[in-house]
Amino acid sequence: MEEATQAFVFFWLAGLLLVVGAMVGFFSKVHWQRRAGMAMLVLGSLSLMATPWTLPFSPSSAFGHLLGSLVGPAVLLVVGFYLITFSGNVPVGRLTKSDRTTGVAMVMLGVLWLEAMHWWILTPMYPGEVNRYWLIFWPTMLLGILTLSLGAYSVVGLVGDGRLREQRLMLLVAVFASLLLLLGAMLDGPNVSRDQFSVEVLLAAADIFGAMVGAAFAILLFAIVLAIYESQQPSPKRLDPPTSTQLEQASRIIAQNLGGETEDE
Amino acid sequence: MNEPAQNRSLARMGMVIMLPLAAIIATTVWLSNGSTGGTLTRFTNALLTSFTLFSFMLLLTLFVYGDARKRPIAPLLGMCMSVLLGIGLSVFFLSQGELLMEDNGSVRAQALSNTIRFGTTVLGIALAVVVVAGTLFASIMNGPSQTIHFEEE
Repeated sequence: MEEATQAFVFFWLAGLLLVVGAMVGFFSKVHWQRRAGMAMLVLGSLSLMATPWTLPFSPSSAFGHLLGSLVGPAVLLVVGFYLITFSGNVPVGRLTKSDRTTGVAMVMLGVLWLEAMHWWILTPMYPGEVNRYWLIFWPTMLLGILTLSLGAYSVVGLVGDGRLREQRLMLLVAVFASLLLLLGAMLDGPNVSRDQFSVEVLLAAADIFGAMVGAAFAILLFAIVLAIYESQQPSPKRLDPPTSTQLEQASRIIAQNLGGETEDE
Repeated sequence: MNEPAQNRSLARMGMVIMLPLAAIIATTVWLSNGSTGGTLTRFTNALLTSFTLFSFMLLLTLFVYGDARKRPIAPLLGMCMSVLLGIGLSVFFLSQGELLMEDNGSVRAQALSNTIRFGTTVLGIALAVVVVAGTLFASIMNGPSQTIHFEEE
């Protein structure tokens, strides 16, 4: 198979399978379609993660390598938070106290793993140097955590009642993300220098703002397309007002169903 | 909540999010000796890629919308035009010499590189959502239960 065809099948087609599978798997109302969507999602992800072996000649395979490197911490974080959340005040299917402890341990391990990928020897190296997509991913994630935790802090303060604890926690998360960003810009890591990290933070911010503006334009256009289509639809047929016979029948039925005993009787 | 108060709350929320973010980014720029080269190029590339890919994803959601609307063609056509507009704009601007080109040799390579970088950004944001939402819900569900006490009649 030609290199371009191989790249199309194992990377781009797999990426399309992942996106379409995720959308069908999460949004379809039909059971078999949801299952097929999930199967497509898993198949696409596996194909992307296998690109360091299936497409070693392509620079795109670095993305597959990053995806594979992040599976461990991502699974630890997702399962850990699930265990902590569902061992709390849930009315049905509450998990045990030991599940909560396991969850806390998993979250801590996940966070430490991610930290070790910047500050220790676990940095994703591909091929022979720091994976260039890791340099984009890590500042993006830290900036994302900072923005989202500040957003959550504001929203909880705005709509929550007696949620001071959650607000403080969100502030703590934001401070933690800020500290990591500043430390990365001040101190050299074993594989990533502080200058390189600083430049990548700035570029990640440009990426995030660009993606947000582009998404906003797309959503605006989508809303305009739907509004124009809906405004061109004929208005639904209006029913004639009820006749006196219908009104009499309605009042008779209402009278039959009203009543009951009051405390005075 | 009345409208001016709502606007004030939204403005305050925007300030709470944007000011610390701007301060951190400014500090990082200062620490990197003010090197801001390539930022505008990255912003524009991300904007065009995000617009095109989001339009494509919204086009897919129209199939769900079509279930409730006798499968209309007009919105599908509208969003197809939107995707084509995104692709057209990307190709046009990438073809303008060095305007939006980074370390790639051809328009195709740059467009593919933009798409993968957008995927990486989405991945970073997704894991950030897991961390923030996970922390928030874990705290809410493990806090003291808040029971609403009704006054006895």
